[in-house]
Amino acid sequence: MSKWDSPVAPGTPPEPASEGLVADETMALGELLPDGSIPEFDETLHEKPENQWLEMWRSLKANRAALVSLIFIAFLALLAVIGPYITPYNPIETNMANALKPPSAQHWFGTDQLGMDIFSRVIAGTRVSLTVGLLAVSIALTVGIILGAVAGYAGGWVDTVIMRVMDMMLSVPSILLAITLMAALGKGIDKAVVAIGLVSIPEYARIVRGSILSIKENDYVAAAHVVGLSDSRIILRHVLPNALSVIIVRATLGISSAVLDTAALGFLGLGVQPPQAEWGDMLGRARGFIFQAPHTLLFPGMAITATVLAFNLLGDGLRDALDPKARIK
Amino acid sequence: MKKTVLLLMLTLTVALAAGLLAGCGGTSETTATTAATSDTTVAPGESTTTAAEAAAADTFTYAQGADPRGLDPALVDDGESAKIIVNVYEGLLKYADDSTAVEPSLAESWEISDDGLSYTFKLRQGVKFHDGTDFNAEAVKFNIDRQLPPQVTPDMGYAGFVFGSVKDVVVDDDYTVTINLTQKNTAFLANLAMCLAAPIVSPKALTDGNNSVMEAPVGTGPYKFVKWSKGENVVLERNDDYWGEKAKTKNVIFRFISDNSARVLALNNDEVDMIDGIDATVVNQITQGGDKLFQAEGMNVNYMAYNTTTEMFKDQAARVAFSQAINREELVTSLYQGYSDMAETILPTFVPGYDATVKQVAYDVEKAKAGLAAAGITKVHMITYTNPRPYNAATGVALATAIQGYLQKVGVECTIDTFDWTTYKEKVKAGDYDICFYGWIGDNGDPDNFMNLLADPDPSMNVARWQDETYIADIKTALAIPNGAERDAKYGEMEKYVAERAIWLPISHAQSLAGYRAEVSGFIYHVTGTVFLSKAVVAK
Repeated sequence: MSKWDSPVAPGTPPEPASEGLVADETMALGELLPDGSIPEFDETLHEKPENQWLEMWRSLKANRAALVSLIFIAFLALLAVIGPYITPYNPIETNMANALKPPSAQHWFGTDQLGMDIFSRVIAGTRVSLTVGLLAVSIALTVGIILGAVAGYAGGWVDTVIMRVMDMMLSVPSILLAITLMAALGKGIDKAVVAIGLVSIPEYARIVRGSILSIKENDYVAAAHVVGLSDSRIILRHVLPNALSVIIVRATLGISSAVLDTAALGFLGLGVQPPQAEWGDMLGRARGFIFQAPHTLLFPGMAITATVLAFNLLGDGLRDALDPKARIK
Repeated sequence: MKKTVLLLMLTLTVALAAGLLAGCGGTSETTATTAATSDTTVAPGESTTTAAEAAAADTFTYAQGADPRGLDPALVDDGESAKIIVNVYEGLLKYADDSTAVEPSLAESWEISDDGLSYTFKLRQGVKFHDGTDFNAEAVKFNIDRQLPPQVTPDMGYAGFVFGSVKDVVVDDDYTVTINLTQKNTAFLANLAMCLAAPIVSPKALTDGNNSVMEAPVGTGPYKFVKWSKGENVVLERNDDYWGEKAKTKNVIFRFISDNSARVLALNNDEVDMIDGIDATVVNQITQGGDKLFQAEGMNVNYMAYNTTTEMFKDQAARVAFSQAINREELVTSLYQGYSDMAETILPTFVPGYDATVKQVAYDVEKAKAGLAAAGITKVHMITYTNPRPYNAATGVALATAIQGYLQKVGVECTIDTFDWTTYKEKVKAGDYDICFYGWIGDNGDPDNFMNLLADPDPSMNVARWQDETYIADIKTALAIPNGAERDAKYGEMEKYVAERAIWLPISHAQSLAGYRAEVSGFIYHVTGTVFLSKAVVAK
């Protein structure tokens, strides 16, 4: 069987947006091909992507846990946007006379050591945690994809150098590395974003490299080579889109660990500047009151747990949904 | 099925998250148990193996948070060391049981020359060090000389403080010694009663062993040293040749349990008889466990300082207005939950010179608003520390955030930069702040020890960076006045001077807290933070 017999690989770019681009390439391919293969090619293009996304959505819908998580995350996102306008109290307003009060009608989640309303602070903290989670993952994703793709595609010494550096980063526990980075960068939530983002780069680089190593052996990549496409174009348009599902799953799970890392840094007092509200910071400051006023820990703890759990379950659901073999029918 | 699993997971994760994160600084029962087992093996001789019963009569176990840094009083500067040192060593003088007034100890009496520069001490006769050598005037000279130039070394943390004003030491006869000073210094007598630098060590032990006193102390005190198992305990035994009233309990064991909750557990389980280093959060645990709480005003002050070199707070009116915005009474009650007393003065109430008529700027929101508006203050930069300190159990962050809350109510925005203690001290030294939070733990119980901070040229001590000619002159005068009413009045005047100018905002005096078993009595928890155990007994 010659390479030219089957120009359409099973994993044709699933993204509808890339359709137009792929059409370009088909024409280029078409010119080279002896004859008759173009219409057949086009047909697959129109059908397959739609089916894949639809099937994925169906499978995700069938997974209750993932669906609930998705709704919960949407709710959190909403809170992050409108939260500051709907909190019953100013989350940074102290009221010393009213400190450490248990949950009541006035203060649903009670008040903390300085009399600040915990309910308002938990809501206000949503924005911080989600923003840090998303930004950190974006940083890690961007850098990780570039490094992983280059390493996987180029191979040879480039691969060795990049991946050994990644291995070095992986050999240090990520939270420790993040703390060290924070020590160097200084305190603050913006620094936390950078620290958490940087330490999770290797995970993405590794995953992307792995997928690319397998994808680049496909015939359509070889075909793209033959028609003279540049390396960067091949990586961006033909290789990466096929690794997308893996990346999406990893990124979803990545947000959950970023939320957790943020909380950990906050707990250690390296996060937001007081009196700003952040879940980990709230936990850290309340830990002395675990017996005296357990509600001061319970609610921020629950917020962290629920958010992390939601992203984990969604990630699992997405993995199943994106894997044709594990799909729920 | 799936739902059940999900529910289970959820429950587990919630429990874990709360438990793990919260427990970070928390309990470790394993530590307690391990320490307990090793403890029994270390307990000297005797049939003290079955903890409470047999130990009750002849062993008193005290649990503190850490090992001493060492047991040579000249070479250490920490409280954990001091607690052991005061039971093994004695100085020429000692404090009264309930204040910082000085009393005779190894010196039976003393005379001060008319020019105030020579102190002649009559020493107690027939006192022997634990190694059998005699205590005499030579021993006193030896101990002070090693902390004077040229012998003094940089690691003698308190040498400068205690003996800085000493010119020389002259042995008049075996039991008379004269100490000559370079300048009048009334606080010198209080220095000689201190638990660091001042206690007298056996000269033989110091010359024979190569720094062995750090590990194996030899003093004249009611207890003698037996052994020190690093990380576990220090064992002391009654000195049967003690010159004074012999110790009531035969053995004293200082155990080291670093974790606060573990220490409380050890007390509740009757593994130890007394613990310190506790804070308000564990008080309920102690009392509910059937144990008792010791509570007394401590020799410290927790304060907020204005940086008087900034444009903003150079102005006295601005400082006063800022102070007026803060409801200290509410703040202290709420933040320290009754375990710190609100400070109206810099001096704790038991220190000579304390004046009850001194009042800080009173809380008045309206005046504060007007004053701050007049001074044009809308933004203030604060720096603070993240950890609890002996004078501020609630951490500097909590204190700063609370104060920020009060200022927010009068329209002033405070940015708070937080640092760990080591970094914080550097930042304070660098001076880039409008307001900082600090505290002071007294050394010798003399008013000069507190009031001198505001006259100190070193900005890492004088964090308000205040240099006032009148005040500095007053400090010098007061130091030379002999102990008595005149001197006390002078310090009262100086306190008023500082309070009017609102250089600091004194916040609170933290109480000393300790937990002890109901069967325990007779210990002396001194206001200086040390614990004298020679009269302590465990009933039954």
